[in-house]
Amino acid sequence: MSIALILLIIVPLATAILIPFVDVFSNTARKLLVGFSTLVEFSLGMFIIVSNFRKIMDNTFYLTYYLGEWIPPIGITLSMDMLSLFFSTLISFSLLFLVIYSIGFIGHHEGKYYVLLFLIWAAMHGIVLTGDIFNLDVFLELLLITSAPLVAFKRNRNGTEAAIKYMFYGTIGGLFIFIGVVLVYYNLGTLNFADISQNFNTLSLFVRKIIASFFLIGIFIKMGIFPFHFWLSKAHSACPSSISALLSGVIVKVYVYVFIRLFWNVIGFDVLVETGLDHIILVVALISSIIGHIMALYENDIKRTLAYSTIANLGMIIAVLTLNTKLALLAGLLHVLAHLLMKVSLFTATGYILQFTPGHKREDLKGVAYKNMLVFVGFIIVAGGMIGLPPMIGFASKWYVLKAFMTDGLSLAAVIIIIGSIFAFVYYIKYIITGFKKMTLGPPDKFRLILTVFYRERVVTDIALFFAIAVLISGIFFKVVFGPIEGAVEVIQNPSFYIDYILSG
Amino acid sequence: MINNLVFVIVFLLGFYAILVKKNLIKMVIGLNIMEGAIFYWFISITDRGGMIPIVNGTQVASQMNDPVPQALILTGIVIGASTSAFLLTLIIELNKFTNSTNPDQIGGMIED
Amino acid sequence: MSRAKHIFTLIILSLLGVTLLVNFDKLPGQFEYANSIYHHITHNGVNETGSLNFVTAILYDYRAYDSLGESTIIFGAVSGIVLLLSRKTLPVSSHGLSFIVKRTFGMLTPFIFLFGIYIISHGHLSPGGGFQGGVILGAISIIFSIVYGSEFDYKRYSPTTKTLLETSGALLFIGLGLLGIVMGGNFLVNLKILNSGVGSLISGGSIPFINIGIGFKIGAGLAIIFYSMIQKTFKEEVNL
Repeated sequence: MSIALILLIIVPLATAILIPFVDVFSNTARKLLVGFSTLVEFSLGMFIIVSNFRKIMDNTFYLTYYLGEWIPPIGITLSMDMLSLFFSTLISFSLLFLVIYSIGFIGHHEGKYYVLLFLIWAAMHGIVLTGDIFNLDVFLELLLITSAPLVAFKRNRNGTEAAIKYMFYGTIGGLFIFIGVVLVYYNLGTLNFADISQNFNTLSLFVRKIIASFFLIGIFIKMGIFPFHFWLSKAHSACPSSISALLSGVIVKVYVYVFIRLFWNVIGFDVLVETGLDHIILVVALISSIIGHIMALYENDIKRTLAYSTIANLGMIIAVLTLNTKLALLAGLLHVLAHLLMKVSLFTATGYILQFTPGHKREDLKGVAYKNMLVFVGFIIVAGGMIGLPPMIGFASKWYVLKAFMTDGLSLAAVIIIIGSIFAFVYYIKYIITGFKKMTLGPPDKFRLILTVFYRERVVTDIALFFAIAVLISGIFFKVVFGPIEGAVEVIQNPSFYIDYILSG
Repeated sequence: MINNLVFVIVFLLGFYAILVKKNLIKMVIGLNIMEGAIFYWFISITDRGGMIPIVNGTQVASQMNDPVPQALILTGIVIGASTSAFLLTLIIELNKFTNSTNPDQIGGMIED
Repeated sequence: MSRAKHIFTLIILSLLGVTLLVNFDKLPGQFEYANSIYHHITHNGVNETGSLNFVTAILYDYRAYDSLGESTIIFGAVSGIVLLLSRKTLPVSSHGLSFIVKRTFGMLTPFIFLFGIYIISHGHLSPGGGFQGGVILGAISIIFSIVYGSEFDYKRYSPTTKTLLETSGALLFIGLGLLGIVMGGNFLVNLKILNSGVGSLISGGSIPFINIGIGFKIGAGLAIIFYSMIQKTFKEEVNL
């Protein structure tokens, strides 16, 4: 029993509840509370890694926690294995820096922003660590409801429209997942992941197909894959840039974790193979990927381009995951890591660059490279990584994805990905060239609030540069992350290990 | 048999309201109708004899209705209520900008 | 154009309905599993938790973590609504309703409050619990706003009071959970304190206290939502 698992969820939750409580009494205490609990949460993650380092290296790492001391399947269990550890580290790492970025970008006068940010942190950890299917549904709805006000944060017309669409699509997706939970309880009488996984093969193929399809539709609506992607570009672009980085970079990856956990460990991938659903998923994901690239080419607004690029990369990740070979799963998880770093870096740099422009369109970006050459060079480096140029980490992950497709004989998919990369080259070059044009006559720069306070500008540029450098360094030393990812892949391919350590650990 | 029929009809009625109606508040009502249909279906298919799951001395343990779906549905009702409250807030905000509640001004549900 | 769209949608939806119906009717009947959750709870529920109401036992003891997530959803929705709607916390004054209504509710409101407290505290003995009773308590603030005017409600329970009530309810829940850790068990273990026999009011361990915490949280949360929503929709009326 490891208390650190429940503390990973309770620390941001308690902070989010304490912020309005403390705010009534004193203002500085609230600022100190935000900084303090960020550090506590991050060090909890580091503590788990350091104290279990031996077991991580041996690939026998797991932790469980029985809530309320009820044994499964009666109660709810929290569990962490290599896959959850991988995603939990990604979440803590990126949220630590996004909180610091938000302190510079948004400032401190909006207290409720930090309440919602910490609730999102707690919800994401709740999803990654849970071992119970209805608990997963509750925390997915929590993630939806706490990220929607942040989409509408700017309180202009665009943001409100985006938030309404986001809420409608997200709620309907949650309803489909709830129907899946209903069917699982009706047929199996239990709600625990390990118990479902153990008894799932006693059902007939017909029932398994129905349950799998409801979960599939629900999670695809929430992720934004092809027939249900109409909300994503507006929602990820109508919010302030720190929230765009959070939505496009981190929250989408948590949905990828739900997809992997449900369809490999709980339902079992052989169900998808027997019913032919994995071919449907592959086709839909590839269509989604190519549509994302094409729509990004047509766009004139930089944040909407980046949002469409998220749809494209997400389609690529799902497509390569359905191949179910060791190389394919490795490539998929590596691209999860790579895309998170690159997308967060692009959005944080864009947030700073857009302070100098009157609008978000391409023509407004003229001459923006000369305002701060360092941040713009970082933007260029990371854009190169998204296209797939070495030595950034985007090159390594795309290389492995292409290799996974080619070894399985799917050369059409490889061709689609290469075409997508060419499109990405075109639409990133558009913005970079406009950035380098000299402004002859232009409107005076509207200095936003962020640039008048010195420390805020420093914080924002430092975080943007830090992520760009992280993309570069992790690209050069990418072999280092292979160890943990291979451990995660072993967990995915081995559902009996998952059943054993929860039900008897 | 009759449970499934009622569920499918009410669920699709709610879905029809979301797709077709020209008023955002009616779309929220459609969402609530869909949720209500799922809750009704869940209770009616796990029915086991019809005695309420509260012990008061005259119960037979195998004939008590299943308490687990009731707990799950209570949670689901609260989630649905918070979602509707927040959606209505967003509609109030939108109304301040455009003075109408027509979903065509936000491009409908299937456009960008 | 929209006529065609209506009919097209109807056709697609009826095809979907027929597919679902045909598939659902092929589902097997419900199985009796020997070691399912249902069996364990109905046979051992009273001994393990001390509460007579099995639904409350599930909601606040076996799966109390789900109730924590659910109350956090309400807290998140309240924070989101306050973020969007209230920039100034000035009260908007309005007349209220007529004299007969004011006098009737003056007599009814204490009984409504008592009924809410009854449902919260007897959650483990009869149908009810924290969520249900909390909604009744929240209705009292709504009654104040509608019947007596929102300025009366602002003076009685200012938004600061409501925020304090809500956060203290939530902290009570989390505190009870952490108390379980301090006393040597796991998070949200049922602390068997003040137990005086099954069937009496003070039984069920920590279930009544969790109920009280959640009741205040829900009540204050609904009151804050209502107050934020009516703030800008009343035009400035002339005060008599």
